[in-house]
Amino acid sequence: MFADESLESVGVESVWRSCQQGALQARSCQTDALHSDDAGVQTRFSASIFTQTEPQEQTTDLLRQHDPAEPDPPGLLDFLRRTEDLIIRELVKNTRSHAFDGFQADWADRSQRVSCLHRLQHPSAQEKDLHVSSVSWSCTGSVIVCAYGRTDDGDWTNEKSCVCLWNLDRQNLNPKQADLVLEVPTAVTSVCCHPNQPALIAGGLYNGEVLVWDTSRTQDPVLVQTGMPAEGHREPVYQVSWVPLQRKAEFGVLSSSSGGRVLLWTVDLDRTRLVLDSGYAFIRQQVPHSGRTSMKVRGSSTVGVTAVALSPWDPDTFLVGSEGGLLLRCSFSSRTPAAVPAEDRGVVLRAPAVFSFRPSSGPVHSIHCSPFHRNLFASAGTDGLVHIHSLLQADPVLSVRVSDSYLFQAQWSPSRPLVFAAATGHGPVQFFDLACRALRPAATIEDGAADRAATCLAFNHQNRRLVAVGKSDGSVGVWQLSSDLVDPGPTETAQLEQIANQVSD
Amino acid sequence: MKVDVEGTLKRIESYKGVIGTIVVNAEGIPIRSTLDNSTTVQYAGLLRHLAAMARSSVRDIDPQNDLTVLRIHSKKYEIMVAPENNYLLIVIQNPCE
Repeated sequence: MFADESLESVGVESVWRSCQQGALQARSCQTDALHSDDAGVQTRFSASIFTQTEPQEQTTDLLRQHDPAEPDPPGLLDFLRRTEDLIIRELVKNTRSHAFDGFQADWADRSQRVSCLHRLQHPSAQEKDLHVSSVSWSCTGSVIVCAYGRTDDGDWTNEKSCVCLWNLDRQNLNPKQADLVLEVPTAVTSVCCHPNQPALIAGGLYNGEVLVWDTSRTQDPVLVQTGMPAEGHREPVYQVSWVPLQRKAEFGVLSSSSGGRVLLWTVDLDRTRLVLDSGYAFIRQQVPHSGRTSMKVRGSSTVGVTAVALSPWDPDTFLVGSEGGLLLRCSFSSRTPAAVPAEDRGVVLRAPAVFSFRPSSGPVHSIHCSPFHRNLFASAGTDGLVHIHSLLQADPVLSVRVSDSYLFQAQWSPSRPLVFAAATGHGPVQFFDLACRALRPAATIEDGAADRAATCLAFNHQNRRLVAVGKSDGSVGVWQLSSDLVDPGPTETAQLEQIANQVSD
Repeated sequence: MKVDVEGTLKRIESYKGVIGTIVVNAEGIPIRSTLDNSTTVQYAGLLRHLAAMARSSVRDIDPQNDLTVLRIHSKKYEIMVAPENNYLLIVIQNPCE
């Protein structure tokens, strides 16, 4: 039934493998033979030349001095005869020409807007609820110095405060973190940067001290300070500024305080202190009266100084504003001794007041002399008006109502003769242009929260379009102004002259 | 003779608004000037080339034309240059005064 059977095996070839192999072809390639060649080069002659800059020749060598004995060069007279008529015709035509009236070339991009470039804050000062009491630009225009303190309470505090510096030209500017922070034991009321050396900053403190910081020193930035000498200030220092000293070509620090003293200090690097050079004291009885004030004031007879302005035209004059509203013109070289009790002082205090302008009804917060006219200055106080005075008369030439609240600072623009800015207690900073007949502001800078007073402002003298505004919430805004607030027109100086010559009734 | 040169320059100076006058010779050296040294040298150096270029532009456009006076009106003042082969007279005037 069952038998063994053997069958052949069946094979199935893989079809997949053969189709994977694909078509094969053989190819070969070879690079061509390289051609190479040899050649030699050698210099046959060489020359060497050096260059070096030489110090500039004195320009007087180029200008031949006119020697009266020397005969005129030949042909000069004929040339002048030929061209004289031509030039005179052109000169006369020029004075009568109206061709270019009102035309202004557009070299730079004119911007119509005022924009905020940076908003700088120092977090630890904001935590302590400090206000910005003063801002100042360095002489190079790239560093802004902000001083923190209090502007509202009149009480002594032990709170430490600081002065912060930001360099706006740096790439990695951090608005929340200052480039340099200088710690100060009490509130700072005023700072002022040195006009020539960008590292020196003078500051006045709430306890009457005056300091000079040198930011180029890494160890201890305080260069010199007054300490608390008997002849120094006992009351808060309201303003410091650098004044050129007459004797040497240096600068001294002028500080004014509410104790009625204005003191001039010189920097003594050997003993690292500020040495008192001369002092001025204001006593009410020694202040000249302008004839209209007939108030009898009881109480202390010192005149607390809240604002000092130096005149850029006359190195001997300075203007002083007081807590009681007095506005005085003073002279550095006055010889009258002040009627203070004769303490044992090294320096005799003098009474410098020469002329008294019409007083205002509240403290004068700020005075600024116009950089374009030698007789004009602006003053601002608590009555909300900016008074433009002339040095020659007691009454103001012009009064501009800026706001209903206090004015903390008024400054003339460094580029346009007719523009000034005022920082108000409500918050906005108003720019007024005296060329417009309307008494509304030409521009207003408003920053964020309302009712945060703008306490200080400073124009940048190098970059004329920037202005810094410090506010009572501890922030400093750097704003760029529009072109029409910065570029002066052709007839502005003449208009300013006209305003100055108005005699008020 | 000398009075005439000074007299002519004084007459020019007395016109309304003239700030300064400079006379430059053919080599570019200022020989008479009423401004200070550094300003004078600056004006002489810069305006000489400008006047030469202006003159060559005018003559390139029309060879029979020639430059009489070059006036530069700037924001602050007006500069007038009267060129010649030998001398150059520069007058600076502020017309708004």
